[in-house]
Amino acid sequence: MSYEDWFRQDRLPHIYCAGCGNGTIINCTLAAVDEMGWKKEETIFVSGIGCSSRAPGYILTDSLHTTHGRALAFATGVKMANPDLHVVVFTGDGDLAAIGGNHFIHACRRNIDLTVVCMNNQIYGMTGGQGSPTTPKGCLSSTTPYGCTEIPFDLCELATAAGANYVSRWTSYHVKELEKAVKVGLETPGFSFIEALVQCPTAFGRRNKFRQVTDHVEYLKVHSLLKAKRDRMLEAGEKIPEDMYVVGELTKRSRPAMGVKP
Amino acid sequence: MKLAIDETRCKGCNLCTKICPYKIFKEGKKPNRKGTVVPELDRPERCTNCRLRNLYGRQLCGVCQLTCPDQAIHWTEEEPYELHKVAIEY
Repeated sequence: MSYEDWFRQDRLPHIYCAGCGNGTIINCTLAAVDEMGWKKEETIFVSGIGCSSRAPGYILTDSLHTTHGRALAFATGVKMANPDLHVVVFTGDGDLAAIGGNHFIHACRRNIDLTVVCMNNQIYGMTGGQGSPTTPKGCLSSTTPYGCTEIPFDLCELATAAGANYVSRWTSYHVKELEKAVKVGLETPGFSFIEALVQCPTAFGRRNKFRQVTDHVEYLKVHSLLKAKRDRMLEAGEKIPEDMYVVGELTKRSRPAMGVKP
Repeated sequence: MKLAIDETRCKGCNLCTKICPYKIFKEGKKPNRKGTVVPELDRPERCTNCRLRNLYGRQLCGVCQLTCPDQAIHWTEEEPYELHKVAIEY
């Protein structure tokens, strides 16, 4: 049995654009879920609104496609109603950070036993490429035609500060690492947050000089800085470049969790 | 095992040409019936998973399958080699 059995083969191919990284993240998440050996009847995938939130529609298990930003609120309800279920939330950056930011910090604070996979494409892809809270400084989008002037959100630091048990960040280039991170997140009791930076060739790449999909993936590969190396650089007193994304397992702790059977 | 690309699913993003450590995937030249330029396979027998999957009994490498956003890459079981009767003409 492999993770391909978790796909609804009749719904594939999916509607994502050519080269969209969301499909990669679904593959990695399903591979991790498959390794856990859970039954399909006991696993629930919840999502909000957006490109990333179409993912549960392609998965064989029960799923909830909920209102914009409220995926975590619905997932909390599912977990509280039946703590035996394994709940995985797919969400995007606009869904989680902008509209659902309030639910996000409180889900972290309560430390509910959920696994949240955030596909961060740094833009609102589905509605036409508007700037989202995670659009990097200087990047073009349809609402920031002269470059984004705001400081982007660091979702991993936000989750750590709000009290999540497990936080890690990878990109769509690091598939094996992402799969392992999702598996650790599924095993960890309490709130696990995995941020996956993905390429968006249609809305983000087209406006930001990533004409080919591979260019954007190459950019993500080059601009990711391992956490261990970041720590070494901090010890040596070197300056960390601003455009680097720190990847790796950022937080792992065991605060008391909600929704876990004793 | 044999490496195969599902032409009905591939959208021609060429991500596999970038990530394969053996550079087995090459950019295609001709568009197919759907208008997608599907990558070509360059000597796919070099693939680790193709060669050693059955020997080790587990998935090896598999980065292309995980990375493919359209779930188009998969491996198929090859039929065992059968001896053929060859008519020799003198």
